[in-house]
Amino acid sequence: MIEKEKLVKIAGTSNVSYDRAQLDEYARDISFVNAVRPECVVKPTSTEIVQQLIKLANETATPLVPVSSGPPHFRGDTVPSIGGAVIVDMSKMKKIINVDRARRVAMVEPGVTFGELIAAAEKEGIRLNLPLLPRKSKTVIGSLLEREPVIMPKYQWDISDPLACVEVIFGSGDEFRTGQAAGPGTVAEQWKVGGVQKAPYGPGVASWHRIIQGAQGTMGIVTWASMRCELIPKAEEPFVVGADNYTTLLELASWLVRLRMVNECFILNSTNLAAIFAKKWTKDYQALKDALPTWILFYNVAGYEYLPEERVSSFIKDITDITKRLGVEAVKAIGGISANEILKTVQQPSEEPYWKLRYKGGCEDILFLTINDKLEGQISTMFDTVKKSGYPSSDVGVYIQPIVQGTGVHCEFNLFYDPANASEVNRVKNLNNAAVKALLTNGAFFSRPYGENSKMIMNRDAATISVLNKLKKMFDPNNVMNPGKVCF
Amino acid sequence: MALTKEQYKAFEDVVGAENISDDKAIMPAYYNTDFAAIILPGNTAEVQACVKLCNKFKRQFRPICTGWSGMFPKDLILLDLRRMNHIIEINEKNMYAVVEPYVISAELQAEVMKRGFNFCVKGAGTNCSAMLRGHGHLDQTTSGDDRNHLAIEWVTPEGEIVRSGALGSADEWFCGDGPGPSIRAILTSAVPPGVTPGVFTKAAVKLYHWPGPAAYPIQGHSPKYTLSEIPPNMMARYYSFPSVEKMWNAEIKLGENEICYELMGFNAAMVACNITTCNEEEEVVFAKMSKEVQGPGFFVIIGGNSRDDFEFKKKVLEQIVKENDGKSLKTVENPEIEGILLCQCTRISASIRETFRAGGAFNSIPIMGQRDLTIKWAIGAGKAKEPLIKKGLIVDDGGAFFGWGVEQGHLGKTEIFCKFDPQNAEAKKAVEDWQKEQSHRAFTERYFASTMGPQDEIGPALMNYNLWWNKIVHALDPNGVSPEGGALV
Repeated sequence: MIEKEKLVKIAGTSNVSYDRAQLDEYARDISFVNAVRPECVVKPTSTEIVQQLIKLANETATPLVPVSSGPPHFRGDTVPSIGGAVIVDMSKMKKIINVDRARRVAMVEPGVTFGELIAAAEKEGIRLNLPLLPRKSKTVIGSLLEREPVIMPKYQWDISDPLACVEVIFGSGDEFRTGQAAGPGTVAEQWKVGGVQKAPYGPGVASWHRIIQGAQGTMGIVTWASMRCELIPKAEEPFVVGADNYTTLLELASWLVRLRMVNECFILNSTNLAAIFAKKWTKDYQALKDALPTWILFYNVAGYEYLPEERVSSFIKDITDITKRLGVEAVKAIGGISANEILKTVQQPSEEPYWKLRYKGGCEDILFLTINDKLEGQISTMFDTVKKSGYPSSDVGVYIQPIVQGTGVHCEFNLFYDPANASEVNRVKNLNNAAVKALLTNGAFFSRPYGENSKMIMNRDAATISVLNKLKKMFDPNNVMNPGKVCF
Repeated sequence: MALTKEQYKAFEDVVGAENISDDKAIMPAYYNTDFAAIILPGNTAEVQACVKLCNKFKRQFRPICTGWSGMFPKDLILLDLRRMNHIIEINEKNMYAVVEPYVISAELQAEVMKRGFNFCVKGAGTNCSAMLRGHGHLDQTTSGDDRNHLAIEWVTPEGEIVRSGALGSADEWFCGDGPGPSIRAILTSAVPPGVTPGVFTKAAVKLYHWPGPAAYPIQGHSPKYTLSEIPPNMMARYYSFPSVEKMWNAEIKLGENEICYELMGFNAAMVACNITTCNEEEEVVFAKMSKEVQGPGFFVIIGGNSRDDFEFKKKVLEQIVKENDGKSLKTVENPEIEGILLCQCTRISASIRETFRAGGAFNSIPIMGQRDLTIKWAIGAGKAKEPLIKKGLIVDDGGAFFGWGVEQGHLGKTEIFCKFDPQNAEAKKAVEDWQKEQSHRAFTERYFASTMGPQDEIGPALMNYNLWWNKIVHALDPNGVSPEGGALV
């Protein structure tokens, strides 16, 4: 265990807390992982402090749990798995280091939220490829490191996008910069000659950022990251398409992404769209849900600097040929929600309260990746499991997101529940466990394993675990970084 | 050291007598090296068994597929993967193809074009392995470097079969990352100074929409093919600009507006070697074109998904070129030449003409990453070529460099090479000196660091990445049976 005096000496009195009430905030989250109160919380204000903390943790075999986003947390990855942990809360490192329109790149510290960066990027004429309606307190780096899906699949060339480079202090205490940021020279020296930190691969043959992404803080602590940004369009024309069956919508989405004709593009079921847009609960929510078709595809056609209107109209014409062939119709509003309103909404973080918590105050997400041909079977599996559990099928929110330019699909089931109701909590907890088990059997790929199910998920691939453990030993030889998470 | 009889028999038991040889007469057909044996495994299980035997006998091995390059010390066991030449799957809905190592790009491209797709064919040429990591002429719309692989099947140096991403967990190829941190971080190929130890036995690569025909209407005979007609909604042009700044401005605007199917920053010399069939003809055409161009330039292909899309792209292209005082090269407007370039620059079938034909050898400095930054450096590297050209030591290409935007200008690649006669010792030395000096200048002026340079100098300036990589290699290959330097080209 690290002595208090040493922590205070490194981070400063005001950045170290042993206050029980404050510690309790980190001891649990909305997920079903066991509550474990940390020993203390430290809020570093610089990379040097982070590095000293990690070195001290190695000397004292103290577990460190990095956190960047504010509450509420949903996945259990920021709750300590074992006692005696120090929470390393990065929320005080909030600098937007660089926003570069010409190179379409931004660089931020871990405490910067989406709302903060969106505003700064907009001033320069660029924007982020966002996840779907992140909560207000969610940090950009937290999302990038979790490989959260983004709503413009056309611009997601690789699953690691839009992450570009990171500076990380590995669990060993070594500092490392990935990709173009590695050098030669310091970041400041690179800027001087006109370099930015954008190319993600290297140095050398490895793509080091991929080891840090998806690791849930088990490899090290990221102290800044850069990300690719996209231009703000000059013209936008959003549409919605409703259907009773999502398969036609998925086919349409596949063509739109393949032909690169749309920017934002995703499918929601009526439960989720109503949860996002209902103004008065719960009366409006039910009415809105009733007015919507079961499945809704949203897409946005955009034009840039040159002849934007001409590009938009040419794409709309081509898309109409596809919708006609598929027997669906693209419209400007559905169930009283306009496509423009959807567009405006998804280009920002969620309004408060967070959309997933509006209905019942709690939400458990089941998320996985898959291919188009398997999705139908997996959705059926989920609803069969839901039926058996007694959870109301009509309360299951579904979000389908084409990923990586159409090479796969992110599927997410959102189970809304009342956290104050023990019976509802138990039902959702059991359903979550049963559904993950059933979906695994049906070929779902849980690329982001969280909480209680992570062992079940990781155990399916012993060969990969063996390699990951070799890497873990190198980057975090004393297992001080978030022990108990993923497979470590 | 040759294999013992017992060792030879053990490998023979795995692959069969017809797929192993230690005949000294066979070796030079591969490389000028005395291999311990050459073994041709036919599938992943055979590769695994061979690798396990290598560990058992403490014998070093090196896999090759199409074998364009590589360093091969004596006494290696060469695993020639030529029998592993199957296209395993083409998934049209999820836009990927799964290939074995000896599937060449031409084979895969012919199959996927029939289905309305293309993929990133590397600049090394269409005769190289389709699973190779790297960059190529199509990067503007097909990306490059390590960003096209999905799941990979990998036999580790200890003989374990690792299947990355969704393949290991769900038996699907569409994703190579996760669960948790991605081992794709270390699964890479053919980028010096080292490659991932072990053997890649299958890989999924991304496919991209192809707006062109299922097959080109080819006419003519080797070495001069052209198209009987330009496919609908396609066009190829070469534009030159009065300055590098104007060329770059046009290039980035075309990227930002998502106009080009291909944007290849060829210089006039590279256009000349593409459209000619011998050195003599090339010299004449280059001289003519040098007068026709006004400065640096690029070659573009636009492809529309419909007539309207094509017309829109054409209009924007013309506007951007005009705003930057660009000039279309009349030679390329000739449909015969346009057809040659359209075909060769999407099939990537002229790489040898561009590199080896003129001098017999070339030395190159390729840089991946930030295009505007590397262009700045390449201007100086081009000027440094001029004295060598004047002395007649290298082929006269006007001191030019080349390159292109990747992912519609988000990233980029710049390359500059000297073509020379490898029999001319003075030329060879001059080119090596030029390469060393210009790489060193890039390093000291903080443009980039060539990882082919001296590791004791480069490593510390790049976060000691080489020491981390060495640790990884040692952890994966405790018996040291899979030395670096292998090639999967």
